[in-house]
Amino acid sequence: MDLLKWARMKSPWICHFNTGGCNACDIEVVAVLTPRFDVERFGVLLKGSPRHADVLVVTGPVTQQSEARLKRVYEQMAEPKFVLAVGVCTCSGGVFHGCYNARGGVDTVIPVDVYIGGCPPRPSEIIDGVVHVLNKIAGGGLAEKSSVNEGQAVQ
Amino acid sequence: MMDSLAAVLYLILFPGFVFLLVFGLFCEWVDRKVYARLQNRVGPPLFQPFADLIKLLGKEDIIPKNVDSILFQYTPLIAFAAVMTPIIFIPIWSATALFPLQGDLIIALYLLSIPALALFVIGWSSVSLYPLLGGFRAATMLFGYEVPFILACLSCGIIAGSWRISDITAYLEMYPASMLIVIPGFVIALLALEAKLERTPFDIPQAETEIVGGVLTEYSGKKLAVMRLMDDIRMVVGSSLIAAVFLGGFIVSYGSISWAGTDLTNVINFLLYIAKSLMIVFLLAVIRTLFARIRIDQMLDFSWKYLAMGGIFQLFIAVMYIGILHG
Ligand code: SF4
Repeated sequence: MDLLKWARMKSPWICHFNTGGCNACDIEVVAVLTPRFDVERFGVLLKGSPRHADVLVVTGPVTQQSEARLKRVYEQMAEPKFVLAVGVCTCSGGVFHGCYNARGGVDTVIPVDVYIGGCPPRPSEIIDGVVHVLNKIAGGGLAEKSSVNEGQAVQ
Repeated sequence: MMDSLAAVLYLILFPGFVFLLVFGLFCEWVDRKVYARLQNRVGPPLFQPFADLIKLLGKEDIIPKNVDSILFQYTPLIAFAAVMTPIIFIPIWSATALFPLQGDLIIALYLLSIPALALFVIGWSSVSLYPLLGGFRAATMLFGYEVPFILACLSCGIIAGSWRISDITAYLEMYPASMLIVIPGFVIALLALEAKLERTPFDIPQAETEIVGGVLTEYSGKKLAVMRLMDDIRMVVGSSLIAAVFLGGFIVSYGSISWAGTDLTNVINFLLYIAKSLMIVFLLAVIRTLFARIRIDQMLDFSWKYLAMGGIFQLFIAVMYIGILHG
């Protein structure tokens, strides 16, 4: 299905979820959607409902509050779905690492496709991350997701 | 036999399903591109709506556990069929439509309001808070825009003395000056159509910042694709209807135009039709860019205080015009 793969590459709709970050990453994600960077050129649209989205953009470390919600949002998305971790806290816990209320990074809860470092990353880095997701779609890379780190998730 | 075969071909190819599909996707692109350019953006490429459609068709189709699954699954198809039907009443390549009926203006208006009811049913059957709120809002808005829209179209019917869209187009073509009389009606119908299509400033049922994805929150995959396509086709059919009723006028009465022995009148008429509908899509996009979303009570206030009053005013003008003309 090359047509389908092409269509998936050309229209990645994103859904944005903050799992307890300091909000700076969210501002950068929003900046990506503004006229200056205009990601609608590449077909990226911000969708309110996770059921419509292809790419879940997560920002922030996973707090205990948001863990169940994050899982639920992820499960509500329709296959094929991708996860983009934006910011160091999302990748590893960052400055919140070791906090009593935070898990260490999003990949302890849901599988992640692409990690973007930076605190916060610049909009151009986020766009680069989206391009990596698209390359993954092109490679049909549904199987090569990082697996959830069970040991940490259960604790 | 041949007649029915031709009719089936008309319905499937042109101006039926395939034409509406292509033109609908094209109009969505025009709309998004104009919106982007007015915001100083580059905007999506030409194939974007097509890619969105294919992608959605290829996605997993989730039916949540608690929904009323029959209503949830089949309402989009009903809405889709309802918005496609009016195209057979609207003149496209000559002053006569494909299957004109007596009173088809009324049928077209009713068919175009079925999507709002379908949205309400979807909101109800989704058994989820946000779609339900969206459905209520869609149904409430119906009471706001429907009356002005019908009043505005009605005045054209009164001026032309017929409820048939083809007759109205033919009349406006014969007496182009009467188009000046329905200018207020055109503005009213345009604003009402914007509300009918649930676009900013009237995108209250889909307000993303308040109720997530509105009515369609629980939809994914194929059903979402059908609903999006339904929206596009509703935009095309709505603008074609307005074009036929208010901006009527093909070039039939000025004789036929031919070039190198082939009769080109129908081709030119068709291009005129495309140009008129695209102009209306453009205006809709400009309205969408210019305004921010208003609240539901403001919308109802606006449509009853100004749009409906304007519609009655337009009706009054139309009756006066007929009275003066025919003594
Ligand atoms: S990565 Fe830095 S900027 Fe982003 S949410 Fe974490 S602390 Fe804030």
